[in-house]
Amino acid sequence: MNLWKRVCLYLGRKKGKTFTLLAFLLVMATLMLTCLSIRSATETANANIKKALLGYFTINAKTLDTGLSADILRQILDTKGLSGNYALRSYSYANYYDADGNSLVINKEGAAQMPEEYENAGKIVANSDSEKDSYFTEGGFEITEGNPLTSESKNAVLLHDRFAKQNGLSVGDTMLLGSIIDEGDTIPVTITGLFTNTKEQDAVGITPSYDLYENIVFTDLSTVSYLLYGTAEERRVQYGDFYVNDPDELDRIMAQVQEINGINWDECTLTRYDKDYQNAKQSLEGLQNIVFIAIAIVSVVSFLVLVLFMTLRLRGRIHETGIYLAMGISKGTVLLQYLLEVFIVAAIALLLSYGASAAISDQVGSKLLSQITAETYETVDLTENTETEKQPAQDLKLSDVVVEISTTDYAFVWAFGLVLCLASTALAAYPIMKMKPKNILSQMS
Amino acid sequence: MNLGTRAILYTVRKWKKTLLIFCLLLSITILVLSGLAIADAQEKQVEELRGTTGTNFTVNRNTATGGWGNGGNGSYSTQEYLTSDMMEKIAAVDGIEGYNASIRTILCLSDANGQWLEQLEPTGHSMVDCQFYSYSCINSEYHSLFLSGALEMCDGEMLDLSFDNGIIISKEIADKHGLHVGDTIQAVNDPFSNDKTKELKIVGLFEVVADKTDERNNYNEASYYDYANNAFVSETTMKALLENYEDVGYASADFFVSDPEQLEGIIQQVQKITSINWNNFIITANDEVYERVSNSISDTGTLVTTLIVLTTVVSMVLIILILSMSTRSRKKEIGILLAVGITKPAVILQYVIEVLLIAVVAFPLAFLSSKQVAGMFGTLFNKTAENVIVTPQHFALVAIWGAVLLITAVLVSCIPAMRLKPKEILSQME
Repeated sequence: MNLWKRVCLYLGRKKGKTFTLLAFLLVMATLMLTCLSIRSATETANANIKKALLGYFTINAKTLDTGLSADILRQILDTKGLSGNYALRSYSYANYYDADGNSLVINKEGAAQMPEEYENAGKIVANSDSEKDSYFTEGGFEITEGNPLTSESKNAVLLHDRFAKQNGLSVGDTMLLGSIIDEGDTIPVTITGLFTNTKEQDAVGITPSYDLYENIVFTDLSTVSYLLYGTAEERRVQYGDFYVNDPDELDRIMAQVQEINGINWDECTLTRYDKDYQNAKQSLEGLQNIVFIAIAIVSVVSFLVLVLFMTLRLRGRIHETGIYLAMGISKGTVLLQYLLEVFIVAAIALLLSYGASAAISDQVGSKLLSQITAETYETVDLTENTETEKQPAQDLKLSDVVVEISTTDYAFVWAFGLVLCLASTALAAYPIMKMKPKNILSQMS
Repeated sequence: MNLGTRAILYTVRKWKKTLLIFCLLLSITILVLSGLAIADAQEKQVEELRGTTGTNFTVNRNTATGGWGNGGNGSYSTQEYLTSDMMEKIAAVDGIEGYNASIRTILCLSDANGQWLEQLEPTGHSMVDCQFYSYSCINSEYHSLFLSGALEMCDGEMLDLSFDNGIIISKEIADKHGLHVGDTIQAVNDPFSNDKTKELKIVGLFEVVADKTDERNNYNEASYYDYANNAFVSETTMKALLENYEDVGYASADFFVSDPEQLEGIIQQVQKITSINWNNFIITANDEVYERVSNSISDTGTLVTTLIVLTTVVSMVLIILILSMSTRSRKKEIGILLAVGITKPAVILQYVIEVLLIAVVAFPLAFLSSKQVAGMFGTLFNKTAENVIVTPQHFALVAIWGAVLLITAVLVSCIPAMRLKPKEILSQME
């Protein structure tokens, strides 16, 4: 009788045993596959936590005559490891005129002094996103009319509502911003919004007039680039905040950025900001270790159990082995038969395990918060005495945590599974194969 | 022969098989026990991680509901200030780990001999150059400048209520004037009035980390002072320094919670404090960092929990499979036992006893060894896992459910053989 026939007959006749083996291998393969997909999902989740802790560095190029040029910025943004989130900022002072070139009136009440040449001037703030400026996030500024400025804004300004009222300006009007040094040099801008301060200015009485809240004007980066560097077409900026994916890489990225040519880095100040990450770092590592240990224990113990189970299974067939050998079938052929039996069952189990594992992964996936696209911010039931911080639907560019079986994982489980079956069967068969048929049959109970 | 003897004899004679089943039971039990310990550890770690996000809420006096007065420097709110008593009551709510509130003023500092201390970059006007932007602290650890990482302590201690007359200054100023932790300096609010001059002991020095020249910091009064010209002083001293001024008090206080998930509940608890007139105060929750990471943190938690649940279920299936396989191979034996007149329950009981005999050794051994397993894996891969602890509760859980499972598995796997008569069993044997 040929080998294949024996294999098929055995598997068919011993339905119960074959089923047990199939169930066992299926369960193990599913566990392994799910384990692998969970491992890669936790890695994504961990990377997301690191990213969401928002480590970044700031380049202060205020002292450079040229600021950060568009070309340098492009090179910086090409650095590997940046998350793609960044903010550009510039600050200046400007004279304020109406559309006809008449000076506008600034607030003087509460000013410690009014510096010369700043009689009609105030502080100019430009930010990729005006609402993320510290005046808004810390100083309590709020937009009352119109829209905040973004990196797309051109020739736009936001005015303090009291300043606008005092000068009879409203949203949609045009005004001029003029250089302090060269009085004739102006740039026209459109008022796209008004803001007000919800907190009192604590520096009233000690601040120069141009820093009074009423005299501050927010504008876009191009306009301030014209005022500072005379280049509105090429947008140059004083400051850049660059967010990174992994705060652990901040040092590497900052060093790499400073290798960019065409800028005098000695005159720039680079500062790293990763306090949130540093606070969380230890706990985060602890959590990672736990995930690692969980996966390591599951893998190692599964391997052990598989080998033990195979041994247990083959021990029940000592008698059979003896008979085969007595019939003159070679040891190699007998071993091959056993291996084939296991491989056939294992192949079926591995195929089925894909479906089983995919089903489990789906179940887990639906429980993961990062995949729930609906508003995840809970609205807190608050009485009128409590304010919720506005939750800007901030795009952190986090990756979706996906629990799925990757092709490599599946291939790995196939390869590893088959090798394991081979090894455990060979290992279990070894003591039996060592014996002579006579010995085997005579020691039977 | 009695049933117990039969069970023991079988176990001993088939020692290789017994050993195999023992090893299997041991491995699976270790797996489940470690899994339970890991699930607990994961929960603790996630909680700890959440706690590092600096989540807090701010109690502000509500200037909208208070009156307004007129003084030399324009109008000011006459709304009541937060008192120490109020803050202590709020801080006593469960789940609040600390709080801070500050009174800001500009102090003139001098050394022990009354010689003015000069700022880092003096302007040349001696009465301006000795001015330091000063905060009183209930607990300087929770001061926003330290929390944000703008400043970092490099020597000495943080200030809290246990210091009556402590001050923290910058290392740069200390170096400039040859001062050290433990030295005494003097402070006065307004040297041209009858304000008191108080002696202060330097308890700590801070280093400036943030870039103060960055103009984004220039939105308030403090921005006119270099970080190095900041100082933090004890609450008691600050009150004494400012005793001539009426309009002084805590306009706001920040309360830090240990678990951001409890924030909402804690705020509700705080609002139930009846001795505070909540009409006069506003509570603002600051959990921005937590909101950003909370989803990813709970994702990790869900993933680990799934892994553990899956492992536990798989372990249960494995045990059933192994026992049914081992029982199935004893069909012939069952037939013989039944044929010699032993009752079916007695046969089943014998098998159950055999399995339990193995389990009685395997379970405690698994408990003892799984205590080592986590630590072993930790050291093996150079990772710490102090939190992974197998507790007696875990053991009790596994032992009870394990025993129930084992008995069920034996019973179920005996069903096919038990349905048949001994003759049928023996005649169908190969």
